[in-house]
This record gives sequence, C-alpha cells and structure tokens, in this order.
Amino acid sequence: MVGPAVAVLFLMTIGPLLFSLVVSFTNLQFSAPQPMRWVGLDNYLTLLFNDSRFLTALGRTLGFVLAGVAVQTLFGYFIAWLLLHVNRFRAFVLGPILIPSVISSVVAGWQGRMIFNASYGPLNDVLAHLGIKGPAWLAWPQTALLSVFITDTWQWTPFLALVILAALQSQPQELLEAARLDGAHGWSMFRRITLPLVLPVAGVGILLRGVDLFKTFDLVYILTQGGPGNSSETLTFLTYLQGFKFFNPSYASAMSFIQLLLVTIMAKGYLGLVNRKGAQ
Amino acid sequence: MSKRLVINLLKWLAIFAVLIVLLFPIFWIIASSLKARGEFFTRPPVWVPANPEWLNYPDSLRRGGMKGLIDSFTIAFFSMAISVVLGAPAAYAIARFQVGKKNLAFWILSIRMFPPIATILPLFVIFRFVGLVDSYAGLVLCYTVFNLPFAIWILKGFIEELPREIEEAAKVDGATRFQIFRNIALPLTAPGLVVVALFTFIFAWNDFAYAVIFSGSNVTPLPVVIAQFAGGHEILWGQISAIALMAILPALVLATFLQKYLTRGLTMGAVK
Repeated sequence: MVGPAVAVLFLMTIGPLLFSLVVSFTNLQFSAPQPMRWVGLDNYLTLLFNDSRFLTALGRTLGFVLAGVAVQTLFGYFIAWLLLHVNRFRAFVLGPILIPSVISSVVAGWQGRMIFNASYGPLNDVLAHLGIKGPAWLAWPQTALLSVFITDTWQWTPFLALVILAALQSQPQELLEAARLDGAHGWSMFRRITLPLVLPVAGVGILLRGVDLFKTFDLVYILTQGGPGNSSETLTFLTYLQGFKFFNPSYASAMSFIQLLLVTIMAKGYLGLVNRKGAQ
Repeated sequence: MSKRLVINLLKWLAIFAVLIVLLFPIFWIIASSLKARGEFFTRPPVWVPANPEWLNYPDSLRRGGMKGLIDSFTIAFFSMAISVVLGAPAAYAIARFQVGKKNLAFWILSIRMFPPIATILPLFVIFRFVGLVDSYAGLVLCYTVFNLPFAIWILKGFIEELPREIEEAAKVDGATRFQIFRNIALPLTAPGLVVVALFTFIFAWNDFAYAVIFSGSNVTPLPVVIAQFAGGHEILWGQISAIALMAILPALVLATFLQKYLTRGLTMGAVK
C-alpha cells in the first residue's frame, strides 16, 4: 500500500538530488561549448572564498531570516494574545485575519507593486497626509529589501498568530491557576510558565517560517527582481539567476547544496534549542 | 467592572486596527480591478472608483486569464487527485501497520525544507531530456512530490484518531484488509480527505517557483500569467488585479470553511 507513493517520491527527489550533487562537481554550462569536466571542489571553493556577490546574498538572507522570524513572531504573539481573550466572535475575526497566509505569493507581490508605487500608491499617499515624504520603495536600494520584508510580514504574521494562539490555548488552565496562586505574574509568569509551554507547540510553526524565509524567491521575483543593483537579491534568487539566466547549472547546483546544508544545520540547531527550553 | 470594559474596548480597537492592516491590500485589489485606465495615474490615488469598470474582467480573461484559470485548475486538480488516491492507502498502512513510520517523518520534513531551487535545477535537465518541460504532466508531477507526503502525513493523523474497534469487528466478520480500508476507514476519514484535497489543491494553485520554470507557451498557470503581465512593457493594472482577485478565490474558500483545520494543514499536522 505504501509502494506507489514511495516510488513517485524516490524518483522525483533522491534521484534529481544525486544528479545535482554530481553536476556540482563539474563545470557543466549550458551556454559555453566546453566539454564537461570533473572539477572537484572548485565550484564550492570559488563560492566560499571568491564570490562576493554570493557571500553578500548569504549575509543578506541570514539577516532577512532572523529579522523576519523575530518581527513576525512578535506581531503574531500580539495578535494571538488579543484573540485569546475575546471568546465571542473569535471565529468571525480569525477567518479574515488568515486570508493573507492562504493566498498566492504572486498576488501578495502584485499588491505590493501597487501599494508601494512611489507616485500613485496608497502608502505614500497616507504618509503624505502625515506630513512624511515617502520613499520610492521598490526603486531605492535602501528600501527595496524592506518592501519585500514588509510584504512577507503582512502575508505570514497571521500564520504565526494562528500557531501561537493554538499553543496558548493548549496551556493547561490548572497550571496557570497554580502559578498565579504562587504569586507568579507578568514577566515571571510569561518566562517560567507560558514560554516553556508554548515554545514546543509553536516552535514547529516558527521553524517552518524560518525555513520559508530562507527560501524567499517569489516576492523578490515579482517585487524587485533582486534590484535595484543587487540590493534585494536573496540566496534562492541568485541561484535562480545562475541556473536559468546565466546558464551555469554546475555553479548553481553547488550553491543550492550549500543552502541545503545551511537549512539543515539551522533546523537541527533550532529544534535542539526548542526541545531543551521545553524540557526545562 | 468599568476598568475591564475599557480594556476590552481597547482590545477590540486593536483587533480592528489589525484587521484593517491585513485586509487593506485585498480591498485595494478589489478597488483596482474596477478602476478605469486613467484612475491609476492620479495623485492622490483613487480609493474607490467612481464608475466601476467591469470590462476589466472579460478583458483579462481574453488576454490569457482564461487559459491561466483552466491550466491552473487542471494541474491543481490532478495533483490533488493523485495525492489523495495514492496518499490514503499509504497513510492507512502507516497508521495501522506502522510501515516505515520513522523514515516517512524524516522524508516529509526534508522535502518541506528543500529550497525548491535545489530540486528544480536537476529536474529541469531531466524534464528537458524526456520532454516534460512546458507540459501539464511535468507540473502535476512536481506538485505531487510535495503534496503526496503532506497528504500521507495529515491523513495518518486523522486515521490514528479513529477507534480501532469497528475495524477489528469487521476483521472478525471476515473482511479483508482492503475491504476494511475501503468500506470502513475511508468513509470515516472523510473530513481528513476534504482537508487534504483542499490544501493540496491550493498548494499547487498558489505555487510560483515551479510554475515559472516549467511553464512555457503551452502551459501557463495563473501566477505565471500575473507575473508576465506585471513584467510587461505596458502594465495593465486593472486587468491584472482582476486576475489576481480570481486567483485568491480558492484560498478564500479555505479560510472560510476549513478554519478549524487550518493550523493543522499549515503546520503539516505538527499543531492540532
């Protein structure tokens, strides 16, 4: 009964990955007529020591992930906290709140294109009413990545709010009562009771968010195409450029393996941290 | 008493503020889909179009939106169907007979974590070789790769919640394993099947990364149509917004009717 499912998955995941691993040790190029040659670790060494564009994109992406997880978890917690204490009508509010997280990222990107429009967009119009001259969001190197960030935060904070809400609801009431009787309140209550209880449950949601932030591609593609200059180029977007625009599959394969490694390390480290915190 | 009232009031105000921020872009798409050409280039911008320009809708459909809708629907539908048909028996086997449970969990998590670009690149080379680029089958196959493990995982959760007694009684009555699965377990898992069907459909419907690379002149899913329009020389704001609005309809259905299962679906069953 498991057979057909496993066969499809194997053919489509392990196979291509092995293929790509082999390619990453060669100099295969679609554009150049040179014969394919085994180059060992050359691609990896160039990436890690000689490719400043790659290293910049790597740093940028890591910053993007950290900031994204922090900001979205914080906002998500706030929304979950608001919803936790309104019992009536919660269902009515929850549906609309979740809409951003279930729509296509391309549509989210398209909305961004309209809203961040420097001359005709509503955002700068609102800012103008407040007496602020809004920037040319998508056209300035200082604000292009920020625009992607805001759009991503708009789209995915509701998801984290939902996960954190579920985690808050799963706290055993007796434990909270007991802690309150023992004089715990405010910050100490949060740190010693709520956090250890919520973290393991919400942790998976936060992890998925971190992984997805690391993979940010769609929004960059629609909103900025990595520009202006390379100012909003994420790692996956650069890999895409190398593979499909510069026709350099061997180099792009090496890039994607470095990403795979990084994601795995980050996820392992994070899960270890959550489990330890949760166990305390 | 009154202090509590004030706090409640403040909370509701905050909730409304959150709702406005989250729903404003959706409102803006709706408004934009009904604006006439000139209304996109005014300062200050037009917030509510004076005379709704309904023609944006038929016009967008004529310019490739219809093809996009049909292609997206076809691909999403088949990926959903395959995931459910292959996923249900696999999930049942794993839930009831513990076949390969450990490996499956690992597999699902790693597929969810792959940067799509890592598999897209080699798949592209292979697909080009076997002629699957720019075909419906190619994209269906791609989506099934992440939809199938998802389907198995979520359905496994649902099946594990079913009481075993009925199945054991049927076994005593001489039913075969497959009969038990088809006539007893499957009907009882109906809510799970609906959840999985809708989620797998939407994953395929919403995807952009695979779509943009494996599509071509034959196959143009909706997100690709939108991206092409948005990157064109002359941007048709009204028409794109009309298509974008149609593209979010299935998601709206999900958010409205399956709210109860949203957390479960979005977190791969990790949070129930």
